[in-house]
Formats: sequence, structure tokens, C-alpha cells
Amino acid sequence: MTGFQTLLSRLGAGAALLALVSGFLGGGSDMAVIGGSLLLVLAGVRHVSGILPHIVIDLAAGLVGMAVLLLVLASGMGAAFWWLLVASWLFCWLAVERGMMASTNTAMFSNVILLAVPVFFGIWIIFVWQMLAVGLDIPMVLLPSPAQIAVRFMASTSVLWADFQQTFLKAALIGYILGCGSAFILAIIIDRVPFLQRGLLPVGNFVSALPVIGIAPIMVMWFGFDWQSKAAVVVVMTFFPMLVNTVAGLQASQAMERDLLRTYASSYFQLLIKLRLPTAAPFIFNALKINSTLALIGAIVAEFFGTPIVGLGFRISTEVGRMNLDMVWAEIVVAALAGSISYGLLSLLEKQVTFWHPSNRRNHS
Amino acid sequence: MNAAVARVFPIATVVAAIMIVWYGFTVYLNAPWQIGKYEKAGIEWQMEDLVRDTMALDRPILPAPHQIAIEIWQTTVEKKITSKRSLIYHGGITLSSTLLGFLMGTVLGIGLAVSIVENRAMDKSLMPWIITSQTIPILAIAPMIIVVLNSVGLTGLLPKALISTYLSFFPVVVGMVKGLRSPDPMHIDLMRTYKASRMQLFWKLRLPASVPFLFASMKVAIAISLVGAIVGELPTGAIAGLGARLLAGSYYGQTIQIWSALISAACMAAILISIVGIISHITLKRMGLQQ
Amino acid sequence: MKKLLTSLAVLAISATAASVAQAADKLALQLQWVTQAQFAGYYVALDKGYYKDENLDVTIKPGGPDIAPPQVLAGGGADLMLNWMPSALAAREKGLPLVNIAQPFKSSGLQLTCRKETGITSPEDFRGKTIGVWFFGNEYPFLSWMSQLGIPTDGGDNGVTVLKQGFNVDPLLQKQADCISTMTYNEYWQVIDAGISPDDLVVFKYQDQGVSTLEDGIYVLEDRLADAAFQDQLVRFVRASMKGWKWAEENPDAAADIVLDNDASGAQTEKHQRRMMGEIAKLTAGSNGSLDPADFDRTVATLLKGGSDPVITKKPDGAWTHMITDKAL
Repeated sequence: MTGFQTLLSRLGAGAALLALVSGFLGGGSDMAVIGGSLLLVLAGVRHVSGILPHIVIDLAAGLVGMAVLLLVLASGMGAAFWWLLVASWLFCWLAVERGMMASTNTAMFSNVILLAVPVFFGIWIIFVWQMLAVGLDIPMVLLPSPAQIAVRFMASTSVLWADFQQTFLKAALIGYILGCGSAFILAIIIDRVPFLQRGLLPVGNFVSALPVIGIAPIMVMWFGFDWQSKAAVVVVMTFFPMLVNTVAGLQASQAMERDLLRTYASSYFQLLIKLRLPTAAPFIFNALKINSTLALIGAIVAEFFGTPIVGLGFRISTEVGRMNLDMVWAEIVVAALAGSISYGLLSLLEKQVTFWHPSNRRNHS
Repeated sequence: MNAAVARVFPIATVVAAIMIVWYGFTVYLNAPWQIGKYEKAGIEWQMEDLVRDTMALDRPILPAPHQIAIEIWQTTVEKKITSKRSLIYHGGITLSSTLLGFLMGTVLGIGLAVSIVENRAMDKSLMPWIITSQTIPILAIAPMIIVVLNSVGLTGLLPKALISTYLSFFPVVVGMVKGLRSPDPMHIDLMRTYKASRMQLFWKLRLPASVPFLFASMKVAIAISLVGAIVGELPTGAIAGLGARLLAGSYYGQTIQIWSALISAACMAAILISIVGIISHITLKRMGLQQ
Repeated sequence: MKKLLTSLAVLAISATAASVAQAADKLALQLQWVTQAQFAGYYVALDKGYYKDENLDVTIKPGGPDIAPPQVLAGGGADLMLNWMPSALAAREKGLPLVNIAQPFKSSGLQLTCRKETGITSPEDFRGKTIGVWFFGNEYPFLSWMSQLGIPTDGGDNGVTVLKQGFNVDPLLQKQADCISTMTYNEYWQVIDAGISPDDLVVFKYQDQGVSTLEDGIYVLEDRLADAAFQDQLVRFVRASMKGWKWAEENPDAAADIVLDNDASGAQTEKHQRRMMGEIAKLTAGSNGSLDPADFDRTVATLLKGGSDPVITKKPDGAWTHMITDKAL
């Protein structure tokens, strides 16, 4: 085990010990918590003594802790509960750390682990949220618990789907394609005409520095209440990152490489397509990924300023006013899913296209 | 001298072209409203009357550039800086939370990027969730964040700066991760032949290689941080700051006020981005990375 | 040396002054919207020292489009809030125990303003038209009204197409909506200011249509109401606030000027605020701050009649109290 992992195991054992002690001091009533903390203390101690150092036991310890916590969860929990939470978290983290180091052994094993780790992390975030929301008795009008959100989500799928279509498929997607497309074309034109580069780039910077919440009401005034004004806002938002990154990317090819192609008597467009665009691809994908999140946020924000009564932004703003925060979070889940899936698809595409870039090579540790 | 002219001339030409197009659109977009006004008052109108009047409307659909310029002039130069109607006062409030948020966001972004690149467990667990965090529409939950932070005692500048941090750390993380992983494997192997430790590899190769990416991301981050500061002003009562000014103009239909606040915000962002650009240019030149 | 002594003396005096000032009770009031004459009574009470006379240190927190006063109250950001009754009752049904302790606004200022050229002459003509409605707590009276008339709100020829109106009057001016929601004291005058003459407008007041609900009332959380010390603070607050309101009703222009002085955004104009104060005085007239149970019942009845999508599903219990106003007035 590395130094960091040893530290994690010590801290985990320490937290479990504190949980055990607080459990006894608190009257010794909660046997489950005490039992769980005892197990975790033992799990930590075994690292000191060196017996049974298997990763699986670390993971099991963490999971046992989680199970105990779920079992006893009720509003208003004592110190033992929170220390057990910390201890379980540390053991799970330790298991993940050790698992990552071991994963270089077999290909299939490592693939499983690579998929499981972010999912596990996500589960932990939701787990801690649920613990905090119920254990600290947070009122629903401030922060609903994941359980409440899930219930609301299941109950409102038709509303969520209609909102998704309006905001994502119509406003965000169309605006994204228009915005990135026009920025790309403009970047190539700028590259061709250096005069424009010196002139348009600063102006382009300026236009895209216009904050979206200022543009939104103006776009609604010009393009009406429906999705067109939202798409217009998205176009303005996605333009700058794409332009800047494409221009930077077009300049990224090395002089040596350009000279080589010139010795092959390549024309401007051959140079562009065979050398400069592929070299620019990492930059372009960087911008495309950033823009995918910006587009969705822009469309949602734009809907705050006047919209027909459908759409993610509309639903979020009105449900906040009605104190239905579980619906608000259900909508946020939809937005987060949509955005993440787009980002994921773009990353996959990027790996295919820019397979040659150092950051995509296998052994880049 | 010639170099300066060569740099200004293209911008000036483009700006002039935009102005001409803008004035054209001012007349075009405001015409229906103005014609409606003429008809209601029963006035006979000529083209020159239309052109003149569409540029002087109180609540235009598109204000003429000179109307915006006059409004900005009146609210900056002609007002005391401490007056509540001064754009400089409001701009200063927005600037303070922008800068604080940008600073925190950059530090957070760099920290996260380093841990992602150096630690595989962090890489696999954190990266997907950082991306997901950005898909959560911040404007939607900004009011909730402010209310929650207020209830634990954090008021004033810090909640707004936190919203800016939330928005600006993402480009920094993405760019830095790309940058820290950008050194040529040949160079990494070379370092290994010198028996370089991970720390030395990081400080001597990865970090310097990532600097161009960092600055490119910082330009995006500071503009986004400004948007975050403006967004953060809305739930705090929209009483101060450029965002408040923007919204106040929007409520009362004062289009000229909206545009003047918008242009000032854009000017501020442009100035901030150029400052980052200048720092970037100087730094990269000294590092020998300037193209 | 002299400077040191003077500064020490100043420090000592201010410390004692501060400790004396500590004796005043601190209260935070969350307004429903930005600083404007709609809240003149409270600003007058602050400015003219009525709160100080009652030994209260009141902070008035302006609202805005993203601020839901019930949420602020739930988060502990304020001790009292202003809210419209439908919104407060809906929040109460959701589990946030709000209680009305005073009702300075007797009449409703909510109305639908339509362009005459759309041919609308009666509510039945709303069918097939586009109507702008505010949300964030202000949509309940409209939804209730449409439900009672049997007009569906999902568009089409037989129903109304509802637009979420931003908080300005552009949809009417730009002809994107046939009717918009306006308040008698605010947005209606913005339409007039924009150049449309009253002859070109058709106005439907909720009050006249019999579907009005109670508007700005003062609300607190029920569990805090049990504390005797807090009750006493509320009594003093209501007394001072109503004194402020009555003064504002009698001196509308001066009250408007006080509001302007307190406007931190610098966006309000004298003309607009004075006019608003004049209209607000009409809405507060007839109320001494005490909630009339008949008005409450009428509001509840309107909300319950909401048919398929009622704002509240059952008659609220304990949503208001005369406890404070009885002692204050």
C-alpha cells in the first residue's frame, strides 16, 4: 500500500473508533451502529497488523457501514452516526484506490472497474445527500432528499419528456449546431483573410462577452416567445468558445509540417483538410464539449424570460415559485442527464477522431 | 507606428461596418412601432422623418448606438461614482464578485486537474461528475444556493462569488487536464531516462506544457465568471450590480438601460479577457512557448 | 497623543452607544418585489422612525423575480414576509406553516389588460387568444378564474394559450400576447407610458369579476409565533407599520419620495412611484391592518373552485390569526 492508502486506512480506523466511542457514550442504545463501527475498527486494525490485506475486505467494510447507516436512518442522528459515515466513506475510498492500482492486471477486470468507479462515486454522492437530508432534517422547501426526487421523477415522466423536447431538442440542439457551425466557418474565413482575423476576433470576443441573461430578454423581444429566441441565445453563447478554440487550433500545426506539405505542392485547401484541421481537432473538440453544456444552460436560462408554458427553464422557475422543489430537482436531473450524455458522446467521437493525440494514448500515466 | 495602425485598422473597419449595419437595423426594426405612432397621431411622414424618429424612441426595439452611448455617458461620467445610479458603482460590485469567483475557480480547477492527472482513482471517479456538475443549470438553483448559504450565515459577496466559482472552474479543469496530458510521450520517456521522479516530471514537464492551455481556459473562465456574478445578483434582491441594472431595465421596459448595462458588462469582460491575454502573452514569451 | 485620546474617547462612546442600541429588537422583513411604492408603508415607518419608537431595528430586504419569500422565511433569512394569500396558502399546504398576522391590503389590484383591436369584450372572448400570466406565485388567481369559467389553459381554439410573462409589458406592446397581467399600480401605467392610450385598451379587474384574492399580507412561521417575546415584537411591528401605511395614504407624494430614497438600484423614477403610491392608497384604504375573515373566506372559496387543478385542495386551518392585530391596534 502506498503512503496515501495507509493514511486512508488509519483515518478510517480512527473515525470508526470515534464512532464506537460516541456510540457507547450516547447510551449504547444503537446496537447496529456500534456493531458496524466495531467491524470497521477491526478492518482498519488488520492493515496495521498485516493480516488479510485483501481489497475486497476494505470494500466489504465500507459497504457494511453503508448498510448500517441506511438501516438506522431517521431524522436527527447523533455523533456516532456521522463518524460511521466518515469511516465508511474512507474505507470505500481506500478500496477504490487500491482497486485502481490492481486493475492493470487483466483487461476485462480493469474495464469493469473503470466503469464501476464513477458509478460508485455517484452512488456515494447521492448516499451522503440522503443521509444529510434526512439525518439533519432539512426541510423540503430548502433541499429535497434523493428519495423524494426519485418519487416525483417517476410520477411526472410525461411532463419531463415534453419539457425535454422543447428545450433540448428544439432550442439547445438547433442553436448549438448553428452556433458551432457558424463559428467554425468564420474561423476558417478568418484564417484565410488575416485582415479579418485582426478585426473580427476582438469584436467576436466582445459580442460573446455579452452576458446571457441580458441577451435573453432582447432575443425574446426580437424572435418571440417560442424556441427560436432560445436558439438565438444559444447561438450567441456557443459562438465565442468555438471561434477562439478553432482559431487557436488552426495555428497549432507546426511550421515543419506545413513546409513538408508545401514541398508536396499542396493547395490551401489540401493543407487545411489534411494537416491543419486534424491538428486543430483537439482544440475544436475541447470547444464542442464546453459548448454542449453551455448550450443547455443557455436554453434553460433564456426560458426564464418569457416562454410558452413548456420547457425545462419554465418548469424550474415556476415550480420554485410553487415550492415544489422535488419537481425542480427532477427537471435538473433531466437536464444533467441530457448534458452528460451529449458530453459523453462527444468524448467518444473525440477519441475516435483524435486517437493520435498524446492525451488519448493508452500509457499516458 | 505602422504596426499600431496595422492592428487598429482592421478592428476599426469591422466596427464601422457593424455600426452601419446596426443603424440600418435600428430603422428597420423600430419602423413598425413608429409607423403605428404616426398613424395614431394622423401625421404624414417621409422617409427622413422615419429615419430620424426611429433613432430617438424612448422604448425602442433596437436602440441606436448613439442612444446607448449617451446613456452610458450619462450614467458613468455625469454621475458621482458613489451614486446608486452610476454604472461604475454597479460595475464595481459585479467586478468584485467576478474576480473573487474567478480566483477561487482557477485555484479549484487547477487543484482538481492535478489530482485527476496524478491519481487514477480521482480521474475515474471525479471527471464524469465534474462534467455532470456543469449540466446542472446554475441559474435555476442560484436562488436556492443563495437562500441556503444565507441560512448558514454566508451573505453578501461570498455566495455570488461561489456561483462564479461553480461556473468558472470547469473550463479550467478541462483545459488543464488536456494540457497536463499534452506533453509528447517522447519527452516523458526522455525524462524517465534522466531518472526523474513523478514530482519532477510534473513540475518540469507537465506543468510548463499545460500553461498555454491554462491561459486559453482562463480567458473563457473569466468571461463565464462575470456571467456567474451577474446571475448571482438576481436572487439577492437585484439591488446592486450590473445584473441588477440589467433586470431593472428589463422590468420597466427601459430597453436603452438594458443595452447600456449589457454593453458595459461586455466591455468589462472584454477588458478582463485582454488583461488575461496580455499576461498570457508575456508569460508564454518568457517561457518560450509563444507561437 | 491628542489624536489617540480623541479616538479612544470616540471608540468608548460608540461602544456604549452600540450596546445601548443592542437593546432594540432586530427584525428582517422580506418584501415581495423590488423597492417600490407598493411597500411604501414599511419604508415610511422606517424613515420616519416609527420602528425606532417601538424599539425595533428593522431591516427591509427587497425581493425580486428569483426570490420566493416563503423560501427565504424557511431558510431563516427573514422573520416576516409579504406575500399574496394564494401563494402563502399553497405553501402552507405543502408543509410550510405560514400564518397571516396582518392584512394591510384590502382590495386587489390585479387585472388583465387587453388590446381593444383583438376584439375581446368579455372573458368568454379569451378563448383562442394568447394571454400573458406571471408565475412564481402570481398565477393562482388566473388559473382559478379560468377553471371557474371552464376555459382550458392548454391552448387551441377553445382554450387560452398561456405565456409565461416576464415582469414587463413588452408582450402587449410587441403584440406577442393579446392580453397581459398587470397591476393597477404598476404595469398598467407602463403600458400607458409606452404610448398606448387607455381608449385602445380593455381592462378586466379581478375585483370586478368576483375572482379577486387577497394580496400583500404579512406572514410569519407558525412555530415562531408561539414565542411570547416574538409575539410582542410582532405587535410592535404591526402597529408601527400600519401607522406608516396610514401616513403614506395621507401623504402619497412624500411617501413616494421616501421610497425613491431607499431604492438602491437607482432605477425607479419619481413620476412612476408617485403614480404608484396614488393607486396603492386605493388598495390599502378600508383596512386598518386586521384581516377581515369574510375576505379570507372569499379568497379560499375562489381558490377551491379551481376545478380540475385547484390551488389548494382543502380549507386551510389556522392560516391566519388576529392575535397580533388585536393587541396592536
